[in-house]
This record gives sequence, structure tokens and C-alpha cells, in this order.
Amino acid sequence: MRSLAGGVVAMLLLLAARPGSAGLRTGAPARPLPDPAAVLRTMLRAPALIDYEGTKVISTVRGRTAETVTMLEAYKRLGKLRLEFLSPESVSGRLVVDDGATSWQYEPSMHLVVSGPSFISGSGRPDRADEILRGYGVRILGREEVIGRETVVLGLAAGRAGSHRRVWIDEATGVPLRTEERDARGEIVFVSYFSRIGYSLNLPPALFQFRQPAGARAVGFHVTGDPVASRSELLARARPPLSVPPLLLGRYHFREGRIAHHGAFSAAVATYSDWISVLTVFQTPSSRMAFPEVGDPVTAGGRSARFLDLGYFRVILWQHGGTNYAVLGNVPGTVLLQAAGEVSAARPR
Amino acid sequence: MTHAAVSQRLSAYLDRELDRSERTAVDAHLATCAVCRRDLAELGRVKTLLGALPDLEPPAAVFAGARARLERPAGMVGPAAEWLRSAFRRPAVAAAAALLAVLLIAVPMAKGRIDRLQAANVGVEVYIREHALLSVTDPFADPAYLGLLISDANVALVGQRRTPEEGR
Repeated sequence: MRSLAGGVVAMLLLLAARPGSAGLRTGAPARPLPDPAAVLRTMLRAPALIDYEGTKVISTVRGRTAETVTMLEAYKRLGKLRLEFLSPESVSGRLVVDDGATSWQYEPSMHLVVSGPSFISGSGRPDRADEILRGYGVRILGREEVIGRETVVLGLAAGRAGSHRRVWIDEATGVPLRTEERDARGEIVFVSYFSRIGYSLNLPPALFQFRQPAGARAVGFHVTGDPVASRSELLARARPPLSVPPLLLGRYHFREGRIAHHGAFSAAVATYSDWISVLTVFQTPSSRMAFPEVGDPVTAGGRSARFLDLGYFRVILWQHGGTNYAVLGNVPGTVLLQAAGEVSAARPR
Repeated sequence: MTHAAVSQRLSAYLDRELDRSERTAVDAHLATCAVCRRDLAELGRVKTLLGALPDLEPPAAVFAGARARLERPAGMVGPAAEWLRSAFRRPAVAAAAALLAVLLIAVPMAKGRIDRLQAANVGVEVYIREHALLSVTDPFADPAYLGLLISDANVALVGQRRTPEEGR
């Protein structure tokens, strides 16, 4: 605990010593760029050390639609988050509070509270830097000033998997201040940036405690189905037989499975990971679910499929042999189509 | 009104049981949704089929006779079977039984179809939500964007899908 507090104090001293860093840089000899591993370790350590609150702007291109969402984001170590949505009007007033174990969402237009599992990882994992360096082409592209803070620009190359990203990491704190993702043509499809940020030694815990508004309707959407850690167990639990290859795209390994339920809907879920990003495969008997006519028509594994672009996540849906399949991931569309083809080819005969 | 919400209201729409605002919303959705138009047409055909069946009441004597036989001591399987046989020889009882059989088949079929349509509607949201929750382990995943995706999916799962608005 003492080392954690020491780390926080050291970070804050660094912050205090770096006001208007751009001004200090003028005329000063250029400092050598840091090592990618060191930058990654600072970024991966940050969730365990840094509290912050700021205004974040997220712009996504979803197919033919672009949307910009603005919100107040507050983070408290180790894994507590509060989001207050400001615009556009369709999300204005929405509140999301995550205390690291449970998340709550208040939807004012419906006077509704939805609770569910936490979606925040608050543990500092600097050891994962090596995994990232092994799996991705990581480069330091330079230094840039973002909202008055000196950042190191990290470039992640899209290889066989993964996506083209640039991340502007606050050199002093390790907090990503800006993230960009580009498609195969080099066009930006996702941008997330802070237009203002303030760091704190200790944000008030009350900010991260949810108080249910009087009279609000409450609904719980928790993850259903016990997870299984092996393919054989998932295959044994599911009817009809599933397509669960042990490996996708040569690097995404099967990690866990589950049978998920929501009302009449149920699906076998298989999660794959390259230890950095995640691909998820869903399989539902067609007798239980009409085929969702969403997204644009594409061909996956020689079959008619639908492609839904959420800007950051992408979805491929197709139907074959009495099963509805869906593959999701934050990889380029062409790579996701390839993963869908591999799932389709592994279908039991 | 979402696709799932309209699917649930098609039968009531057909029976003119919706209030004006709901009916207007369903009309607007039907103008753009071929799947719902097809389902409405199918429901209309089932209704027409059921409506074409004769609306006959079994004679009171049938129930009086049945009650008298039911009140007899147990162990009268033979006479009960004989009563059933004689009852089905009467056209009114046969028509009522046929109607019951049609209902027993049509209602679960219609319900199963509505369940499948609802599952299609929520399925994509369940996929997005589950995938976003699993993406917590991605060190480059933006927590605010995960929060937006999950909260949008939650809203859709309670039947109020949010339509993204054009950016600035």
C-alpha cells in the first residue's frame, strides 16, 4: 500500500513539475524518444495509480453514419468509473457508475436503472507490455502536446489481426489522452480524446457510489450462464453441435465459453483472445432466432452474410445449417471476415 | 417504436386494439419493414382461416349428458369412451373439437414465431453487450466507449433502441 501511495505521489510531483511543457520544450535540446516498452508499462500501470476527471469526446463512423458523443469521465483507482453523458440529445443525462464490481446505468428519459457486471479493469498490469510488443508492431512516432500536456504518440500496426491505432499517452501519467483508429484506406473511423483533464490524488469515493433515483424502475442485466474454460466442456453443453476451432487467425486462442440467455434468446458464446484483444463467436439455433437483417450484405466463407460496423467493434452475421453465427471483434472488417470463414469451415459435418 | 415492440403489437394491430398513437407508430414501422409486413399478412391469413370456421355452440344436452356420466362411479371407462365416440358423431361437437385443435396448433406456432423475431431483435444487442464486457481485458479499449456501447445495448434490450445522431 505504501508503494502504491509512493507511486501516486511521485506521479503527482512529476505532474506539478511539468506545467506548460510545450513552452519548456521550445529551444531546449530534443530529448531522445522513450523506449516503446517503457511507455507501454507506464500506460498499463496507470489504472492502479492515477485518479482523473475530464471531458471526453468520442467520434465514430458507423457505416454511413458518424456520431459524436461528449461526456464527463471520472476514474478512480483501482477500477471505478463515472460517466455523465452530455450530448447528443439522445444520450444527454445518461449516467453510468461502475464501482469495479457492479455497473449502474440511469436512463432519465425512461426513469430506468439498469444494473449489470462491471466493465472496468483497474489493476495495473505493466507485465503485459511484453505481450503487446510480441503481438503487435509497436512504434514511437514522436512527441506531441495534447491539451497542454506532453504526450508520446504510440503507433500500433495492424498485422494479421489487430487494427491500425495511434494512442497519445500522457508521458507523465500514462493516461491515454487521445486514441485514433484508421481503416485500411487510412481514414479515421474512431477518435476518442479528452478536451480537458484534471488529475487528482484521490477523487471522492461518493462520486463512484450509485444512488437510485426515487421511483425509478430497476432492471438487472447480468451475464447469464456459468463460464467453461475448455472447448470440450462447451461442446458437451451445447445442442446442436458447435463450431469451436481451437485457434482463429493463427493467434486468437480459445479462452472461455458460456451459454448466454436473454428471454427467449440463447446462444453459445466462445471467446478468443490473442492476450490483447478479443474475438467473440456466438451460435444460436435458427429455430430459436430469426436471422437479424442488420448491416450491409457481404460474403463470408462463401456464404451470404451481414456486416455491421459499430465504428470500433465490427460484427459479421451469417446463417448455415440451422445455426445463426455471429463473430465480433475490434479488428478490420477484412480480418473479421477471415475469422468468420474459419469458424464456418470448422462447422461439424 | 422498435422492431421487437412492433412484432409484439401486430396481433393487437390486426384486431384494432391499439390506441391512435401506437397505431400510427406501427403504421410508420410497417411502411419501412418488409419482415413485419410479411408477418402481418401471415397473421391476417391465420385470422381469416379461424374466422371461416363455423361458430357453433354444442347443444346443452351434450354437457348435461357428460356431467351425468362424469358423476357416475369410477371404473366406467367403457361408457365414457362410448360417449366420446357418440359425441364426435355430432357435427357441432366435431366442429368445436376442430376449432380447439386449430387453436392448439396455431397459438404455439404464432408464439414461437414472435419469440424467434424477438430473439433476432435482441440478439445483436446481446452480442454487442457481451463482447463489450469481454473486451475489458483489452488494454487499449476505451472505457468510456465500452460504457456507451453497453448502455446503448441495455436501452435496446428494454425495447427502446437509440438511433445514433449525425455528428457535429
